Amino acid sequence: MSAALDAAGQQGLEMARARAALYGLVSRIFSGKPTAELLGALKGREMLESLAAFEVVFDEGFLGGDVAAQADELAGEYAELFLATGSNIAPFESVFLPGWSEDKPQLWGEATAAVAKFYEEAGLELRSGQIPDHVGLELEAMATLAECEAARREAGDAEGAGRLEGLQNRFCREHLIRWVPEFCKAVRERAGNGFYGSMAVLAANLVQLHCGEAEDGGSEETTRRITDK
Amino acid sequence: MRKLTRRDFLKLGVASAAVLTIETQFGPLARAAESLIEGGRSVNRTSGLPRSFLPSTCLQCPAGCGNIGYVEESRLVKIGGNTAHLSNQGSLCARGQAGINALYDPDRLLTPLKRNGLRGKNNWMPITWEEAYDEVAKALASARANPGDFVYMTDDASQDALGRRFTLALGSPNVIGAAGIYDNNKLIADRLTWGGNGDMPDLAHSKYMLVFGANPLENNPQFVGLARRLIDGQQRNQAKLVVFDVRLTNTSTRANEAYYLNPGTYALVALAMANVIMQEGLYNRAFIEQWTNVTPERLAQHLAQYTPERAEAESGVSALVIRRIATEFASTPPAVTITDAMLSNSINGVQNERAVMLLDIITGNIDVKGGLCLPRQYNLAEPNPAPPAPNPGISALTNPAELPALATHQPIQKVFQLLKERRARANVLMTHSVNPVYSNPDSGMVQDVLLDETLVPYHIAVTPFMNETSILADIVLPETTYLEDWNVEVRSSPELVPYVSLRQPVVPPLESAVSFFEMAKQIASRVMGGMEQYFAFSINEYLKARMANIPGLNRAGGLEYLMQHGVWYDPKTRPDYGSFVNTGFATPSGKIEVFLPQLGRAEMPTYEPVPMFKDIKEGELVLTIYETALQTDAKTANCMWLDEILHDNAAMINTETAGKLGIKDGDVIKLTRQAKSGEAKERSVTTTAFLTEGIHPQVIAMANGTGHTEYGHVAEGEKMELSEIDEPFLRDPNLTLIWWREKGGIGVNAKQIVPVASDPTAGGQAWADVVVQVAKSS
Repeated sequence: MSAALDAAGQQGLEMARARAALYGLVSRIFSGKPTAELLGALKGREMLESLAAFEVVFDEGFLGGDVAAQADELAGEYAELFLATGSNIAPFESVFLPGWSEDKPQLWGEATAAVAKFYEEAGLELRSGQIPDHVGLELEAMATLAECEAARREAGDAEGAGRLEGLQNRFCREHLIRWVPEFCKAVRERAGNGFYGSMAVLAANLVQLHCGEAEDGGSEETTRRITDK
Repeated sequence: MRKLTRRDFLKLGVASAAVLTIETQFGPLARAAESLIEGGRSVNRTSGLPRSFLPSTCLQCPAGCGNIGYVEESRLVKIGGNTAHLSNQGSLCARGQAGINALYDPDRLLTPLKRNGLRGKNNWMPITWEEAYDEVAKALASARANPGDFVYMTDDASQDALGRRFTLALGSPNVIGAAGIYDNNKLIADRLTWGGNGDMPDLAHSKYMLVFGANPLENNPQFVGLARRLIDGQQRNQAKLVVFDVRLTNTSTRANEAYYLNPGTYALVALAMANVIMQEGLYNRAFIEQWTNVTPERLAQHLAQYTPERAEAESGVSALVIRRIATEFASTPPAVTITDAMLSNSINGVQNERAVMLLDIITGNIDVKGGLCLPRQYNLAEPNPAPPAPNPGISALTNPAELPALATHQPIQKVFQLLKERRARANVLMTHSVNPVYSNPDSGMVQDVLLDETLVPYHIAVTPFMNETSILADIVLPETTYLEDWNVEVRSSPELVPYVSLRQPVVPPLESAVSFFEMAKQIASRVMGGMEQYFAFSINEYLKARMANIPGLNRAGGLEYLMQHGVWYDPKTRPDYGSFVNTGFATPSGKIEVFLPQLGRAEMPTYEPVPMFKDIKEGELVLTIYETALQTDAKTANCMWLDEILHDNAAMINTETAGKLGIKDGDVIKLTRQAKSGEAKERSVTTTAFLTEGIHPQVIAMANGTGHTEYGHVAEGEKMELSEIDEPFLRDPNLTLIWWREKGGIGVNAKQIVPVASDPTAGGQAWADVVVQVAKSS
C-alpha cells in the first residue's frame, strides 16, 4: 500500500478493491458449479454478517449441512437452472435484451456484439469458445477492470484509474443494469430462497448499488433503495 | 431494507476477497496486460506489439460485409468481421479474411506502366504518375471530340458511381457494368414484375423455404448475410428447406428435401406447382385480386397447361412431389422462394424468374414477414454539380436499336460482340477492376478484340494487378486495393432495415498505388474543358455529399460516425413490411405485373424448353459452371489462402453417365462445344473427371474462379523464392510453399467455351444453356 495516497485516494482504492472482490465473487457463483471449499468459505462468520446487510440470509439447513454433499446438489441445481435445454434461464444478455430481431430472443445477438466490442475496447481478451455476454463473464469483466483500477490507484496513477473507473461505470450503465436485475429476478422466481436465489439477490443489489453510484457520480452515503423484495 | 452504506460495501468486499483467495485462478477472461487497458487497445499476444483496428467494408465479393482490419506497425495482420454490421453481424467468410493476400500480392503493380513493344507481349516501361496522367489526359482530350467513342467498363459495383461520373463528365454515355454476365436477368424480371431492384427473401422469419437453382449457403449476392438468416430460419422457426437443382449443393446438403431436375426445367416445375395451388384453391384470392394485374380465373386458366404430370415427363420430378410441395408451400405461411443466377442465367432467364416468383405472389407471401420482400436500400446522392446525361444515341453501345428491348445496362458480353463486328467503336477504352478476358463468355473472342488495335486503338487499364485483361492495355494505372480505398456503400439489407457502410483505408496505400478517385481527379484537371468542375472536391467532401440525403446518419455524426463504427443504421427502424399497401408497387399499374404484354407471346409467366437442349446427342451433357464460397470469379485467385483450398476444378460427372462414356474417376477428359454460326471452329477445354452421385446424369459441372493464365504467380500456382520479390514488405514466406500447380494443377477457365447468348428481354448471359461433348482425352 502506498503511503503517498491522500484520504480520497485511499478511499478510491478501497472501493475499487471491494468492487473487484464482490464482482469476482458473484461472477464465480454464476460461472459454474460451486466447490465445497467455496461453500465453506461463504459460511464464514464475517461473510454471513456482511451478506446480511445486503439482505442475503441463508436458511438453517444450508448453514448446517455438509458442504461436500451441498456442492454436489448445487452442481445439479446449477445445471438445471442455467445449462439444461428447454426451460432453463439462459444467462445471456442478448436473450434478455433482444436487439436485431425484437420478436425473438437469440444467442449471439446485438447485445453480444456490443459486449464483445466493449471488451475489445477495454483491452480484455476472451479465451476461445466463450460467449461474451454470459452473466458470469460480464461480472468478471467488472471484477477485472476494478482490479486494474486498484492497481493503478496503488501506483498513484489517478488518471489511469479514473479511466478504468469510467469503463466500469459505462459497462454498468450500458449493460449490467439493463438486464442483470431482470435475470436475478428470474433466478429468484425459479430458485426461491435457496442458494442461487440468495446469490441472485446479492448480484442484483450489487449491480443496482453500483449503477446508482455510477449515475449519482458516487455520493459518499448511498441512500438509494436498491432492492424491493 | 435499511440503507446500505459504503461501510457495508467495503465490509462485504473484504469478506468476498477472502472467499476468492481459496479458489485458484478462474474464469475465462484472460487478464490483459496493464498497458492494454489504458486507452483500450488491442495487442499481438505473441509479439506484444500494439495493434490498431479500423472498421471498413469488404469487397472480395459484391456482398459488402462489414470488416475490421487489424494493423501492427502499419502492416495489416488480420481481417475479421465487424460485429456491429447489420448484414454480416460479425461473420466474415474465407474470401473476406484472405483479402490480406491481395493487399500483399507479390505481383502487385506499384508503378504506372506504359506498353513497350507489341500489345499483349507483356513488355512495359515504368513511367511516373505525372507522365501517366498527361498521357491518359491527352488520349481522353482527343476522345472528347467524339465522346461516344469513350467506353468505361467495370464490374466493381462500388466504383460504378465514380466511374459513371467520370464517363459522363467526358460526355460519353458508355458505362458498361458487368451485370450482363451476372444477375441482369433476375434484376430485370424483378423490376418488370414489382418494380423492385431485385428481391430479399426474409429467411430469418420464414417457415418454408423453396430454392430453385440458388445456393445461398455457398454463394449469393448477400452471401453471409443471407446464409446466416437461412440458418436462423431453420433453427428458430424449424423452417423447412426444399431445394431444386441440377447438382448437390452446400444448400441441398442442409435441406429437408432436395431434388435433381432436368436442366432447363425450373420454370416448368414452378408453374406446375402454381397450377396445383390454383386448382386446389390454396391461393390468396384477395391478394391476387387487389395487388396483381390478373384475376385468379385468368391465371388458373393460363396455368392449366402445366400439369404436374407434364412437368414430371419433362423435368423428371415426380408429379406426387410437385403436388405435395406445392400444397405444403401454400399452407405453411410465411413461405418464400429463393432464386439466384443459376436459375436466371438462361436464354429463358426472365421467364424462369417470373415463374418462381409467381409462387410467392399467388400465396400472398409478398413483402410480409418471412416472405419475399422488396429490397430495402438507401439511395446515395450524386454530388453537385452532376454531369449532364449524354444522348445515348451518340454511341452504338447505348443506342436503343442495339439493346435488348428492356435492358437497362448494355451487357458487357454483347459489347465485345458489337466491337468485334465493328458495329460499335471504343477508340478509348478504360477497363477498371474488370477482367472480361477471364470473366466473359467466349473469352478468346474478347482477347482477340483487345489485341486488335484497329478495334480498340487505346486501352487504359486501372487495376492493382496485371491480369488477362490489363496485359492487353497500352497503359496500366496501378490502383489501390479495396483495403486502401474510400467509399460509401449501400446494399440491399438482409435485415430489411437499410444501412450505410463505409470503406476506409485500413492501411495507407502501398508505395505509389493511387485510388481511382485521385486518378479521376488528376485526369479531369488535365483534360479540362469543364471536366475538372465535376471533380473539384476532396475525398471527404465527396463522401459527405454522397450521404447527404440520409438525415439520420448525418445527425449521428455522418462520415465521422462511419469512420468510427464502419456502419450506420437507424436503431429505431424496424422492417416496414407491407409498405406497398400505402404506396403501391413501383410499376406502371402500381400492382404486381404478372401479365406483361411487352413480353409478346410469353406475356404470362411461361415455360419454354431451352432450344439448345432439344436434340442432345449421345455423349453430350449440359455444362454448369458454379460459384463457390472460395473464389469470386476473376477477383480472388491471387489470394493464396483461398487457392490452397480451391485451386483446380475437376468436372463433376455422374457415376452412371461416366460409366456409359467409359470415363473413370481422375481421367483426363475434354469438353467440346460445337462451333456456332459465325465461329470458325469449336471451343474446348481439358480437365479431369470427378465421379459423383451428387449431380444430375445429364449435367457436367465445373467450379468458377480457377485456371488463370495471367494474374501473377499466386493465381497461376507458381511458388516463389523470396529473393525474387523486390519489396521487402511483400516477402511472405508462405509464397515459397505453393504446391498445387505441381500436385494436380490450377484448373481451367470453363467460361472460355461458353458462347455469347443472352435472354432476349434482359440481355443477361445464358451461362446455363451450354451443351458440350464429353469424351476421354486422347
